[in-house]
Parts: sequence; structure tokens; C-alpha cells
Amino acid sequence: MIETSELVYRHGDTAALDGISLTIEDGEWLLLAGPNGSGKTTLVRHFNALLDPDEGTVLVDGQEAAANPVRARTTVGMVFQTPRDQFVAATVGADVAFGPENLGLAREDIDRRVAEALSAVNMDGRGDERVDSLSGGEQARVAIAGALAMEPSHLVLDEPFTGLDWPARQSVLSHLDDLHAAGTSIIVVTHDVRDLLSRADRVVGLREGGVAVDAPPEQAREQLSTLDVRVPEC
Amino acid sequence: MLSYEPGATVAHRLDPRSKIGFQIGFAVAAFTVSTLAGLAGVYAVGLGCLLAARLSPVRALRAYWFVLVFLGFGPLFGGLTLGPPWFRVDGALTSLRGVARIVPLLFVSAAFVHSTPVRDTRAAIQHTVPGKLGQLLGIGVALTFRFVPVVRTDVGRIREAISARGGDERTLRDRASRIARLSLVRSLQRAGRLSVALRARCLAYNPTLPALSLSGLDYLVFALSIGLVLVSVLV
Amino acid sequence: MSERHESVELVPDTTVVYVAVSVLLAALTAVLAQLSLPVPGIPVPFSLQPFGVFFAGLLLGPVWGGFTLLLYIVTGLAGAPVFSGGGAGVAYFLGPTGGFLVGFLLAAVVIGAVVHRGIEPRSLTAVSTVTQALALAVGIVVVYAVGVPWFAVVSDISLTAAATAMAPFFPPDVLKAVLTLGAVAGGVEAFDQVR
Repeated sequence: MIETSELVYRHGDTAALDGISLTIEDGEWLLLAGPNGSGKTTLVRHFNALLDPDEGTVLVDGQEAAANPVRARTTVGMVFQTPRDQFVAATVGADVAFGPENLGLAREDIDRRVAEALSAVNMDGRGDERVDSLSGGEQARVAIAGALAMEPSHLVLDEPFTGLDWPARQSVLSHLDDLHAAGTSIIVVTHDVRDLLSRADRVVGLREGGVAVDAPPEQAREQLSTLDVRVPEC
Repeated sequence: MLSYEPGATVAHRLDPRSKIGFQIGFAVAAFTVSTLAGLAGVYAVGLGCLLAARLSPVRALRAYWFVLVFLGFGPLFGGLTLGPPWFRVDGALTSLRGVARIVPLLFVSAAFVHSTPVRDTRAAIQHTVPGKLGQLLGIGVALTFRFVPVVRTDVGRIREAISARGGDERTLRDRASRIARLSLVRSLQRAGRLSVALRARCLAYNPTLPALSLSGLDYLVFALSIGLVLVSVLV
Repeated sequence: MSERHESVELVPDTTVVYVAVSVLLAALTAVLAQLSLPVPGIPVPFSLQPFGVFFAGLLLGPVWGGFTLLLYIVTGLAGAPVFSGGGAGVAYFLGPTGGFLVGFLLAAVVIGAVVHRGIEPRSLTAVSTVTQALALAVGIVVVYAVGVPWFAVVSDISLTAAATAMAPFFPPDVLKAVLTLGAVAGGVEAFDQVR
């Protein structure tokens, strides 16, 4: 569970996050929407202690995230917008192994986690391929596997569909559905909610660093259009 | 271009640490050799390394064309004089003897590059260089290896963008500083995103290291390396 | 679950940032080392190699600037084709031009030391262009002060002969230093954002 309470974060004089209180349960499928600059990315980077709050608290499973970053980062997995900048090794398997290696796990545990993570994104047996030779959709899936290898209970994806064509987008989405069905909480950060509304349990919309919408998808639909978020027609 | 290629040769099977140790020992031998017989011995060992890696000498030499060009400068400038006779053969010959020691080094170096993946050297660094420096150097080498193609694509795109708008007509200074500035900015932006990704995945000073193990063959190579040093120093 | 990972010794955040910037500047040095702009009418290509060295020293200071060049050299020794002409391996390091690699490393350290006067890099906006120019001038001197004698020793020729051979490369390097002063200004803002 992730709980933020009166979370404030400032860039210089302006508050990027202006008192956000939000609770995300285990197993939720949450869509975090809002226009560029509304504070979405800043918010989720607090979930795994990539940013420290200026005011307020961020609790991950009841413990302050910033006080125990390793715990926060293994509980909340993070997938960033551009896969190419988050690959830390030249080959798929070595990249996915990076997180578990940092945790100091035994080699056989690392190998098991890598195999499971690759299997979860349908990349079984492709550990020796070069990350630069993969298609955009495959790169996005390997980036997800890299986060999954930490065995997180929450998976945050920050604008994961940028640059993906339609089939790749659908493929990533179906894997997210599978992960959700297996009990992982999915948090997707986006300014473009097409074909995501129907999947989410809950939609949170941000505006100027505050929560403007927090509702189930059907009710959120109308409110979102006031946030300059693109909403599907039907 | 010469780079690692998977294989099952003797050189491929060796531990990276014994191969690095051998290169050091061989370099000492190559630089201290003073007799013609010694030089012949160094060449024989160098060619032996190519054989152990199943690499042709021609390929090795072609890969090092850049080094060879500068090796050629030695005898050329070593023979030049400021006045008549303008070129002295003995100066050129002295240099040629000096330069000749380097060629077998190219062989050994090529055999190493051909038979050793970068990740092996990275593991060797992390196992051998102590403390935080060793860890940061190891991970840094792996990351640099990974990001060279990424930056190459970036710089290529920058050049295309400049050409696409007629930038090739501009002066050399203009083009050079434009490419340098834009590629610097692009690289720094990538560095920002990489550092966030490294933190999210718990970059640690004490990770599980890649496994390395020494075999009997490796000890033999270590012994050979020490032998090379001893022979070259004593003889 | 948390007990399991208590032994993990995280690399501190600021160190991670400097490592990441060092990695990208080492990669940039590698790419620029192999990039030459054709100059009409002149057979010698205009290589962009020194820019990476200058950037590393100017932006990252002596320690991380030096670390950047160390990464570049060791990645090349490890077999990645990062040296001029697309080469790799110890033969470059011990060959006639190896001294320039060592010179680059020392130059980055010296440039960083002159500009930042401490281990922790400060923002370049606080450093005058004169100081930066002075630092680059000293840096070039260091590169040649190591590179030329190394070339002389490896090739077994006199220092004068080695200097004569390397002289044509000197004026373009000075021009590159001058261009660096303008180019690095564009990166200062990006670097301050990353930190």
C-alpha cells in the first residue's frame, strides 16, 4: 500500500505538488492522468524515494519511503518513458539481472527472477539478445521485466506508450492486465487515456500539483475533459 | 573492425584475469627485448596468441591500421634531418627496431579483444580492483559500453539535422561547434534519465558479482606470464 | 521482507549522478574520437576527439572528469571499439599514440582542478571565460607533454623528431579548445538540471 499525506514538493518557489493525500491499495489498477506539468511524474517519483518530500509523508507498506529507499524501490517498481535510457547492460538478460544483483541475491535466485520476469512479458529465452536490436515494443517489455525482477507489489509506468505503435501498445497492455490479474498493482501515468479508462479501477487526475479528480472511470470521464486530458469519444 | 566474437577456442575459455595478466607480462617482455633472437621469440609468442584465439594475423593488423600509421611515422621522422643529407638511414633503422617490438603487441591485443567480452573484463575489474573504485569502475565500463551506440545514434541524428537544413555549407568551425554543443546537451539529458533509472534499480556498492573461476589452464597462463617477465629481465 | 535487503549499500544519489554523467561523457568522447569532418581541399580530416576531454574537465572537475577519461580508456582496453580509427585493446595504450590517452586523462584532471579548485564540481556559470580558457590551454599542454615524449620513446626517435611529427595536430587542437568555450556554455544549463 502507498499512502501520501499532505505531500508538498517545490521546484524553487513553485509547488510542483501542493498537498497531495492519496492512498493506493495493493492490487489496484490506477490511472494517473493530467496535462504536462501537472505533477504526475513528480508524484510517482516519491513512491520509491527518487524524490524526498519537502512537507508531508510518503508511506510504503506503512514505512516512510525516504527512510528506507531500498525497501521502497523493491516494493514499487518503476518503468520510465524511454526504455533506451534505462537499460544498463548491452543484453536483455544482463539488464534484467541488474536490480537483483544490486540486492546482493544469490546467483541462482537472480537467474530464476530473470527467467520469471522475461516470461511475464513474453520474452522467454531471449536473454542473450542485444537491447538495441529489439523493436520499440520489445524494449518497453524488457524495461517492464527489469522492474519486475525486483518483485514489486506495485508497478508504476510513466508514459509507457510513447513512441509505440498500436500492436505494441496492445501487447504491453495485455501484459499489464496479466500482471494485474496475478495481484500486482498497476499505476499508469499518462496524459492520453485512450483504451486505458476501461481497464482502470480508479482514475486520479492532477491539476497544478493537486488532485482534481479521484473517481471510478465512468464518473471520471467527464471530469477529465476539464483537465485537458484526451478522453475517448465513446 | 575487431571486436569480441563468441567461440570455443583456448583463448575464449581462459579467465579474463589470466588474459590481462598475460598482456602485462607480454608487454614487459616486448619492451625490454634487445636481441634479435629475443625479438623473434616475442613474435613467436604473439603469433601463438593469435593461433590460440583462431584469429588471422592479417585481420589483426588490419584492425590496428591506425596504430600502424603512427608506427610508420617513427622510422620516417627518425630518419629525417634538418640539413643535408635530409634522411639518415641509421636513425630510421633505430626507430624501425623500436617499432618492431610493438607489432607482436598488436597480435596479443587483438587476440584478447577477439576472445574476451567486455562483461568479462568488467567482472575482472570488480573482482580485482578493491573497494568502491572497483565497483564504480566496473559498472561504469559496462554502462559506457552500453551507451556508445546510443550516443553514436544521437550524434548521427544531429549531423543529419544539420545537413538537412543546408548546414554543410557552413564553415568547419560552425559545424564542429554545433555538433559538439548539441551532442553534449543530448548526452547530459540522457545522463539525467540514466541516473534516475540507476537509483530506481538500487545501484549498490556491494552487488552480486558476475561469477569468475580459474582453471588449471589459467594457472598455466599466469606462470607463463611471470616466466615472460623473468626471462626478459634476466636475459 | 525489509530485513532481507538491509545489507544493500546504496551508492549515494550525488555519486550516481556523477557516474551517469561520466558514463555519457566517456561515450561521447568515444563517438567524437571516431568522427571526422571532411575539410574541402585538406587531406587531413578534422577530428572532434578532444571535445569530450575538454567537456569532462570543465563540467565535472578533477575527480569525475578524470574518472570519465578513465572509463573511456578502460572501456577501450576491455575491447570496446572506442579509440580513434575504431580500435580497441591494449595495443592502443602501449602503441605510439598511447601517451595521448594518458595525456587526455591528466588533462581532464588538470582542467577540472584549475576550473573548480576542489573535488566537488561547481556550476560553470560562476567561472569566468578567462579561467576556462586558461584551463584548456594548460590541458592542451599536458596532452602534448605526455603524448610527444611517449611517441618518441615507443618509436625510438628523438624528442625533436616526435614533436615534428605531431606538430600538424597542434593548431587544430587549439581551435577545438576555442570552440569548446562556446559549445560548453550550451551544456551548462543541461548539467545544472541533471544535478
